[in-house]
Amino acid sequence: MLLYIILITLGDIMHIPDGYLDIHVAMTLNIISFITMIYSLKSIESKESIEKLIPKVGLVSSGIFVAQMLNWPIPGGTSAHFLGAGLASILLGPYFAILAMASVLIIQTLIFGDGGILSIGANIFNIAIVPATVAYVVMKLFKWKKVGAFFAGWLSVVVAAFFVGLETGISSSFAYNIAITIPVMVIWHGILGIIEGVITYMIYSKLGGRLI
Amino acid sequence: MKRAIVTILVLVILTPIFSYLSELVEYSEPLENVAAMLNVEEKGIYSGIIPDYRIGFLNEYISSIVSAVIGITLTYLMIYIILKIKHAKK
Repeated sequence: MLLYIILITLGDIMHIPDGYLDIHVAMTLNIISFITMIYSLKSIESKESIEKLIPKVGLVSSGIFVAQMLNWPIPGGTSAHFLGAGLASILLGPYFAILAMASVLIIQTLIFGDGGILSIGANIFNIAIVPATVAYVVMKLFKWKKVGAFFAGWLSVVVAAFFVGLETGISSSFAYNIAITIPVMVIWHGILGIIEGVITYMIYSKLGGRLI
Repeated sequence: MKRAIVTILVLVILTPIFSYLSELVEYSEPLENVAAMLNVEEKGIYSGIIPDYRIGFLNEYISSIVSAVIGITLTYLMIYIILKIKHAKK
């Protein structure tokens, strides 16, 4: 029963609400995420004209926003949805992906109250920076890019889940420590992440490569 | 480009269907329900302009479609502004 409760609580907290993280954890991640976003903004480069760039980045971001609204029906009271950061990263490159995902998260937080306002840095770190970086590295390692796309999608979710487990686990405001939170998050998203991997593979295959 | 827009519109139309399906399998905002048992409180210091994608006077299915359209538009707008500013600085 206890494990089940932990599972459905933790399973659902990719978007961490306020009150789950200790203030120093939340603030550290706010600073890290802010710096990373500025760095990404400085680092984005493209030979394409701004007229072509805006629709590409804009539509990927908007698509991820709505995809995240689709809660997969999972019996038992928990929920999950497509994350999209891995996909964004392999389509747009990591810097554009971080900005795209951060935009989605900022709108979700400010307009829809999805994810806490103090934990917005944590959420940007977990849902934008970490998975975009993981997907970028995975794609670099794979020779067969389509297979790489699956692993980029899957591992981006698993590593993101690891960090959510770590951050909530080290926070004293959360009742369980990392010995429980990390395994629960990683195992649960190790399973769910397969769906993310398949979707990422399908969209990447359909589009036939990077957009930018 | 055109295909992307059509795909997004299809996803928008799917949002109420998914929220219905989630209800069928007893999806019930588990976070709030069991958070108390885990000794954590969701400290709602800010709940957004449209909390939980629900617009007061609309039913939940129409709410989710309207929320999706608002979210998509604002996300796109944000990317537009970011890239325009970046471009202008160059």
